[in-house]
Amino acid sequence: MLSSPTTSRAFGFLGHLYLLLMLLVIAGVLTAAMVMQYAFGELPCPLCLLQRVALFGVCFAIILSLREDDTARMTGLGLVFSIFLLIVSVRQTLLDIYPRPGHDYIGTAVLGLHMPVWSVLIALALLAGYAVKLIAFGDTQRPHLSSYPALQRAAAVASVYVIVLCAINLGSVVVQCGFDQCHTDSYRMLEKMR
Amino acid sequence: MMTAIFATMFLALLAGWLGRSAIAVGILIVCLALSVWLFLFEIYSPATGFRMPWLQTELGAPAPCAASCAAREA
Repeated sequence: MLSSPTTSRAFGFLGHLYLLLMLLVIAGVLTAAMVMQYAFGELPCPLCLLQRVALFGVCFAIILSLREDDTARMTGLGLVFSIFLLIVSVRQTLLDIYPRPGHDYIGTAVLGLHMPVWSVLIALALLAGYAVKLIAFGDTQRPHLSSYPALQRAAAVASVYVIVLCAINLGSVVVQCGFDQCHTDSYRMLEKMR
Repeated sequence: MMTAIFATMFLALLAGWLGRSAIAVGILIVCLALSVWLFLFEIYSPATGFRMPWLQTELGAPAPCAASCAAREA
């Protein structure tokens, strides 16, 4: 099916582009979560932060898939973190499916859905995305990303952006939680400085 | 603990970006293990654990009649 070098090259381009688009979507989701935190003052709860960790884990798998050819192992890692995201977000959705005394629903509704519910949908979309990737590009040998310089530059920029996002999140978690548990109503370190 | 999780995730991403794949995967697995541990802690901690009070997961106390009815049957 992929005997022609041109076809193989085009197929490889699509495979890498698909992974890059997945990375960009997750980076967009993480950016939106951080905008909600810093611009609208929605402090993340422990389960919310664990969902961010799961998204960064999927990003890690995609970044290494793009940089190297070991995509099977990285696909496995990406699937593990997608499943972890699904478990945590379903658990949080079940927690907040019914109002609890003294515990308002976590997060603002976006397009009618609260953030944990969005996380469930994102986790399902990631699992579906990986399934489509395996069906469409699973058993083909693709040229390395370096064969597509424009795509390689875009992947490098997206990867650095994700690493910077993770660094900002690390700093934010230190300010919010210090080295203790993250059950906070405010940024703990800032409270101590006042 | 959350700080340790994000620190390991950051280190894993950085190591992966610098081409140290094996180290990066190792650190990522540590990060995943810490995350799973914290998730289980959040669920089961008696002090701060989340509960789902609308879900009945245990048999409740016997109904008021149960004790007297059992005594009457005996």
